[in-house]
Amino acid sequence: MIPIEFFLMFAAILFVIGIYGIMTKNNAIVVLMCIEMVLNAANINLVTFAAYNGAIMGQVFVLFTVAVAACEVAVGIAIMLNVYKVKKTTVIDDLTELRW
Amino acid sequence: MFDEIPILTLMLVIPLVGAALTLMMGKGKEKFAKYVAGIFSGIVLILATILLFEENVAALAENHVWIDAANIRISYILEIDGLSKLMVFLTALLIFLVVVFESSESDRPNYYHTLVMLMQVGLMGVYLSADYFLFYIMWEVTLIPMYFMISWYGGPRRHYAAIKFFIYTHVASLVMLIGIFAMSFQAAELLGSPIVDFSFAVVASAAPLFEKAFQILVFGMLFFGFAVKMPMVPFHTWLPDAHVEAPTGGSVLLAGVMLKMGSYGIIRIALNVFPEGSIWWAEIIMVVALVSIVYGAYACVAQTDLKKMVAYSSINHMGMVLLGIAASLLYIKYTASPVESLASLGITFAVFQMFAHGLVTAVLFMVCGFTGHSVGTREMPLLGGLAGKMPYLATFMMIGFMASLGLPGLVGFWGEFGVIFSFYVGAEAMGHIWLIVFCLLSIMLNAGFYIWAMQRTLFGRETTKIDMSKVHDVSKAQGFSLAVLCIFIALFGIWPDLALGVIEPFASSFIDIFQGALLP
Amino acid sequence: MFIEYTWLIPAIPLIMFVIVGLLAKGDNNRGGGLAILGALATLVISVLVVYEFLTGDAYATEGFVTESIKWFSIGGYEITLGYYVDGLTCIMLLFSTFISLLIFVYSMGYMDDQGKRKSRYYAEISLFLAGMTGLIVANNYLMMFVFWEVMGLCSYLLIGFWSFNHPQGDEASDNAASAAKKAFLVTRLGDASFMAGLFVLLYAFQSLDFTEVFNVAAIGNVDHNLIVIATLLLFGGAIGKSAQFPLQDWLPDAMAGPTTVSALIHAATMVKAGVYLVARSFPLFTQSAEVMLFVGLIGGITAILAASMALANNNIKKVLAFSTISQLGYMFMALGAGGYLMALGMNNSDPALMALGGLGYTAGVFHMLNHAFFKAQLFLGSGSVIHSTGTEDMREMGGLGKKMKSTSITMMIGSLSIAGFPFFSGFWSKDLILDTVLNASKYGSEGYLFAIVWILGIITVLMTAFYMFRMWYMTFGGPEGPATETCHGESPKSMTVPLWLLAIFAFGSGFLLLFGLDGIITIDAANGFLVGTLAGEGALYWVEHMLTNPYTYLSIGLALIGIFVAYLMYSRFAVNPGKFNKEGTSWLYRALENRWWFPQFYDWVSWTFGYKVGKTVNAFDQKVVDGAVNGLASAVVESGESGKYMQTGNVGNYASVVMLGMSVIFVGALLFIYYMGGM
Repeated sequence: MIPIEFFLMFAAILFVIGIYGIMTKNNAIVVLMCIEMVLNAANINLVTFAAYNGAIMGQVFVLFTVAVAACEVAVGIAIMLNVYKVKKTTVIDDLTELRW
Repeated sequence: MFDEIPILTLMLVIPLVGAALTLMMGKGKEKFAKYVAGIFSGIVLILATILLFEENVAALAENHVWIDAANIRISYILEIDGLSKLMVFLTALLIFLVVVFESSESDRPNYYHTLVMLMQVGLMGVYLSADYFLFYIMWEVTLIPMYFMISWYGGPRRHYAAIKFFIYTHVASLVMLIGIFAMSFQAAELLGSPIVDFSFAVVASAAPLFEKAFQILVFGMLFFGFAVKMPMVPFHTWLPDAHVEAPTGGSVLLAGVMLKMGSYGIIRIALNVFPEGSIWWAEIIMVVALVSIVYGAYACVAQTDLKKMVAYSSINHMGMVLLGIAASLLYIKYTASPVESLASLGITFAVFQMFAHGLVTAVLFMVCGFTGHSVGTREMPLLGGLAGKMPYLATFMMIGFMASLGLPGLVGFWGEFGVIFSFYVGAEAMGHIWLIVFCLLSIMLNAGFYIWAMQRTLFGRETTKIDMSKVHDVSKAQGFSLAVLCIFIALFGIWPDLALGVIEPFASSFIDIFQGALLP
Repeated sequence: MFIEYTWLIPAIPLIMFVIVGLLAKGDNNRGGGLAILGALATLVISVLVVYEFLTGDAYATEGFVTESIKWFSIGGYEITLGYYVDGLTCIMLLFSTFISLLIFVYSMGYMDDQGKRKSRYYAEISLFLAGMTGLIVANNYLMMFVFWEVMGLCSYLLIGFWSFNHPQGDEASDNAASAAKKAFLVTRLGDASFMAGLFVLLYAFQSLDFTEVFNVAAIGNVDHNLIVIATLLLFGGAIGKSAQFPLQDWLPDAMAGPTTVSALIHAATMVKAGVYLVARSFPLFTQSAEVMLFVGLIGGITAILAASMALANNNIKKVLAFSTISQLGYMFMALGAGGYLMALGMNNSDPALMALGGLGYTAGVFHMLNHAFFKAQLFLGSGSVIHSTGTEDMREMGGLGKKMKSTSITMMIGSLSIAGFPFFSGFWSKDLILDTVLNASKYGSEGYLFAIVWILGIITVLMTAFYMFRMWYMTFGGPEGPATETCHGESPKSMTVPLWLLAIFAFGSGFLLLFGLDGIITIDAANGFLVGTLAGEGALYWVEHMLTNPYTYLSIGLALIGIFVAYLMYSRFAVNPGKFNKEGTSWLYRALENRWWFPQFYDWVSWTFGYKVGKTVNAFDQKVVDGAVNGLASAVVESGESGKYMQTGNVGNYASVVMLGMSVIFVGALLFIYYMGGM
């Protein structure tokens, strides 16, 4: 059996890549994709623990997460589409209309 | 007679229906809003008058559980007694007269009447409720219509004044809310009850069990909350701004009944629940009251705006109310075996003064507001000789000013006389009778600024600094409002027993309970 | 039979006030008719009440009749509403209602040209009559205070009757408004003191009813110091109302009102209220000789001070106003001296001293009666002159005697009376007063102070005679002045008839003393402060008493000298008055002309302790108190303002901060666990 550390390390790497993307990227689409990566990192953790502990609850939660992530991406991309229609850009730093 | 009809609930529901109706009046029908509001507030006034003469008030009480969840029980309890009778009557009277007085020249007259009706719901709720949570809700309900009244219909600096009024009094009510929570939860704990009941009766039953330190602390919180509302120096600065900017009707309600909520709360809640705490605070209350009296009077002397002067005089007169309360406390504190009739004296006349000030200040704000409206300015240096052009206004203004400065035969005198006498009794018990010098100073200053103001506005040569060609005297409806108030001022002034007869039974039973709670 | 209806005496004019005030409109005399009707009814009831009382049984035994209903209760002490009739009440009622009626009638002529304002005038004087009669019949101090203040209100309203749209222009309007304010505020200072006195009395006696407060046993039970404080405070009220030093200065200004008002309120009736208060409270005041000494001293100082100011005034009404103040000073002098003797007598249980003290009381009240008649007469006479000439400045008059016969003769009678010319009314009471003061100076350790008061009084006699005849000669004697040439001649009958009636009383009211009046207005300290015994000393006693007293001749002599000097200066012009005052430039003359700078002093006090403090408080309020509130508010706003830049709105920034925070917590937790020695 593969040791649990492998999975956890994998999830952690995925998580860090995602977070790094969120922190540094300027493009809204990329940020959304990075958020997906962070979510999936969490999902991997959940599945892993569920499998190792024999508790089905974790996998149930993953289904929830997937569903929520899908909704979130749908809403997020819809917003960005509209933003693009108006502003002709998806660069986050340029979207400062509502700030202060 | 009223066994079947929930008359106290009607006092809340009728104005609420009136508010809804006036709110929904569309374009073109706005001018009827005044009549609708007049009819609804008239009905409430009739009910309030009946209540004033109703002897068996205990039968009128209504008690329904409202929220009973998570170990908290909030009830819908309405009760009425000698204290609230007068306040309810005053509220109903002033609301009705404000509706009659208002000349509907503003652009959205129906909303104005909606706000007045909502005010009535809140005010009646405050004076009738016997549950702390309901009381607090109603307390806050009064804020909102007043806020909009100032910020929609007010003067040039209305937004500043409205925000200041709202935030200032709201912060104070939050402190009060913490106090209410503290005492309700503490009461439940001391009674060993798992359910926290907010009703007056339950908390009162735990009152003798409160520890002294707790009493002192929570009394302080409640006192702060109420003192801001009264308002007492140094927490008074919202008042002049709010009064000056508010429309005439708003000022009348603000000074006439809303300020009374503060003193009502002190008597009804702070003293009632925390006898020991209030005794501890007695001297501080006295100092606050005396400072407010003298400070308010002196501030009036320097005002040039008529309405601002009257606003500051409210601080002075509400100081008298607080002084009456302090007098009762001081007498009980410093007398070995207090006589009940003397101990209740201060409370009796504090309530009388509340009532008197409500009637008198309504006249004052009406005449000052009308002066500003008709002449175009309220600045005294610009006015002069108005009596020639506006004889009726001059008469009403004189009656109002005379009543306010305490001319015997008008209602203001008895409040002042009784309060100062009670304070003399209290100060005598303390061994410092010289303290009444401050009250005498206030009497002099009151006479001074009112008479001076009359000299500068009504008398002397007719002013040439402003255009007097369009000046008009009070209309019939306005004259009616003022005349009714003046008749009441004279009636209660000649025969104060009409009001005292209602207050005295309340005050003596109140003091009985108060003194009973103080016994070890 | 009639006494039960005593309450109607104030009630009728009060009803007339309401009726006239609400119903009488327009330029007609309906209001006047109603007011006169009310005054007449009041007078008739008063006469009936007095007649029944003086012939009744209660008078001989208790000395008073009282009846009351509960008004309200204050701290368990019941305050009543009722009437209290005794000898003093009777005298006050008779003269005040009678003079009021005459002045109301006179007003019909004097105020005839006032147009629509007339109804307001009649309403206000009706209210005044209600106030005065209510004060007189009141059975307790609080009721008395209420009516006392009602009179103050009427005084304010009537002084300010022309405070807008004055027939003589804007200047006069301003002047009237300012005078009304001054009158109200200065008397209010006294009233505040009166009110404080009520508190002391109410708490000490547990009642304010005269029957309770004047009860000898009750007085004995109360702390002596409290009574001293209470009486001094009550006297403060009297000082304000009766325009005594140092609150005397409102009265000359009050002459801005119509002359009828000056006659009624500021000479004959209202200003007597202070004297009445002291006389009524004699059982309390006589508890302390020092208090009575103080009363006497104030009276003496006021008498000479006011008389001195009258010497240098050229306004006919103001001269009379000063003389009113001065004569009121005499009344307080009498009451002070009498009360002083009575207090000493009670301390030493000496009935003779008490009886001597009773004489002072009689003298004071008697002078009040006489003064009401002759001063009302003089004021109405001056009103007649003003009505005819249209000016109040005596320098523009002169020679009016030929054009206004009735006025000049009646005013001569009034002047002789006030000057103390033998057998005119003023003579009897004034000499009785001086006699009492002189008596008082012989007893007690502080008696010598009354010797000073006596000297002040006797100098005032000279001054009074001088300034009254200066006034008379400047107005009616000498060559015709500019105003005389344009005058309308004698006034109408409605004015001259009251003048003659009052002149008869001004001459003759003094003789009442010979016919047993002293038996009605005496007070017997040995007998529970019984007012009146009906047993007058008899005519022969008084004639003998007066004529055998050498000091009587002294005062007669001084009065004659005063009259003669005035005659020389202002009728014959044999002596130029300017010689004595360096043509108006001497220090003393300027002091008199400026009323000893009292108006400036009042202004300074009210400005400094009123307005300036008010300004300071207001500035403090705006800057410090409101500044703190606004400062707090802006501090909240500004901290939010500077903090808002943390919210960049950039998800990347937020994520970085979240990560940083999480890392810190994580590392912190690890370190914590490490230092705690592992899990």
